[in-house]
Amino acid sequence: MARDATARDSVAEVIQLPARAAARANARGVSAAGDLATRAASATTSTARTGIESLMRWTHNAVDDWGRDARLSDRIRSVSGLRWDVMIGGQHHLERVRGGLIVVNSRRFSLSPIWAALHLGRALDRPVRFVGRPDIAPAGPALQRLGGLLSDPAELTRVLASGELVVLGAATTMSPHRVGVVDHLLVGAAVAAKVPVFPAATASSSLQRSARLQIGTAVPVNRRRRGPLAELELADDLAIAIGTMLDEFTWNGWLLS
Amino acid sequence: MGGELGSRVTSLLEEEPWVGSLEGIDADPPRRRLHRAVFHRIVPGQHDRIVEVVKKFNPHVVVHVAVWEPHSRAAPGVARDLTDDAATSILGAAAECRALESIVIRSGIEIYGRARNSATRPDEDTAINPTTQYGRMVAGIESTARRIGDRIGVTVGTLRLGTVVGAHVPSPLGRLLRMPAVPYSALADPPFTVSLDHDAANSFVAAARLRLDQPLNIVAPGAITALQAIRRGRRLPIPLFGPEWAIAKTVAYLMGAPIPDHVIEVLHRGRLADGARAREVLELAPTATTAEVIDQLYSWPSVVRTPARAAVA
Repeated sequence: MARDATARDSVAEVIQLPARAAARANARGVSAAGDLATRAASATTSTARTGIESLMRWTHNAVDDWGRDARLSDRIRSVSGLRWDVMIGGQHHLERVRGGLIVVNSRRFSLSPIWAALHLGRALDRPVRFVGRPDIAPAGPALQRLGGLLSDPAELTRVLASGELVVLGAATTMSPHRVGVVDHLLVGAAVAAKVPVFPAATASSSLQRSARLQIGTAVPVNRRRRGPLAELELADDLAIAIGTMLDEFTWNGWLLS
Repeated sequence: MGGELGSRVTSLLEEEPWVGSLEGIDADPPRRRLHRAVFHRIVPGQHDRIVEVVKKFNPHVVVHVAVWEPHSRAAPGVARDLTDDAATSILGAAAECRALESIVIRSGIEIYGRARNSATRPDEDTAINPTTQYGRMVAGIESTARRIGDRIGVTVGTLRLGTVVGAHVPSPLGRLLRMPAVPYSALADPPFTVSLDHDAANSFVAAARLRLDQPLNIVAPGAITALQAIRRGRRLPIPLFGPEWAIAKTVAYLMGAPIPDHVIEVLHRGRLADGARAREVLELAPTATTAEVIDQLYSWPSVVRTPARAAVA
């Protein structure tokens, strides 16, 4: 019997029942107020530790060869869902493509290449990058984490040749119905890397969440051209193709502008 | 042959069936036990002795690994002088050898530089534009070797290594990351890549065997940022924004981990390189990713204290 009591005591020692701990504390002469303060401090420390551990887990990310952070991109895309409710069409054109360039129209301040890349990446379940990050901190490295690339044809060629999907924005315009100039030097990167180029029309509202991305079929490169005219013609063809797709959009009054 | 990388390359070359006799020169004795190789202890400044030894040996292949990274084993000024002396005397002496067929030299991806709007992940075709002292040092070696190769008609293979990190490898970046509290750029925290010493040594052996005749980037796959590396090592990250870097550099110097300009550049601008061509040409698969190399960096014991077996009066 005495042995059982000893065993119970030792179990209580391990578990540290609060009642017994309090009784022992009282026995040691610790006042109730002091005990309360100790408990409060202990709870605060525990909460802080849990918070720090959660923060450390949450920020324990990894970057890929080009500096894109997949987990951060997912989180930013989730947050961007508060701003843009993106409807994507024509993504089946990209499903069997290894590397490819997607050229989108871009209304001024619409950030079309960024949200298009983030949401297309989610739809295709693979990383999609975008062209047009500055090379200055903090914006440059932050956009690099989301998949941003420099507007450099050589860099774009290397990325496309390594089998990546990249979104390139045309020059920004004030009107959502118009397509800006497509940079033929950047389009030339796709020609050099021998990857297909897809036109894609984007539309988003300044005041509403609705946004749309429609991807078209690949625009063929004129292989008869041996010089830079191939790229110039491809850039023009892309602008025409995007314009045609924009004309086919059902515009929702001035809100989708 | 005396440094960690040189000793490792030599021990791997000893196991190669195509290697006949093997000789090496360094200011320090080899860090590993070598079985076949003959070692000559000569400081890089003794040109006459180096020329005498090299001419007498008359090698078919010269593997030049004698590069002192600033603040790895020597202060930046001394490192520059030692590297220049070694490149001039050893490559110059090799040029006098009739049997010479190929030169393989060590360079670094610091040669591409990290100027504003420079390539994020340069490959071997990217124009070189060094922006640090170490970058200019390795550019000087490449230039010397290329001139010699053109002049005497031998192949010159260049291995541009990422920051070499490995067990016992003296590396300022490795030393900094292993400090208890590590500063990093809070505004940028860009990605960088490294090389494992074992993979780098294997690359030298393969390059010598193939008589490599082009530059190749030798880097581990993947990338990591300073904060991510610090987190993996469970060190205390200290975010810095600008002017505090001067203080951080001084504190790090006093704590035994001086930060040279090329490491500062890594922390502010990052350093990536495309190593796909090396894997294809040398037919070597890297044994560890960048994150794994960093994990290994932290898994090495700092100081192993062995207590005395018996008390000594």
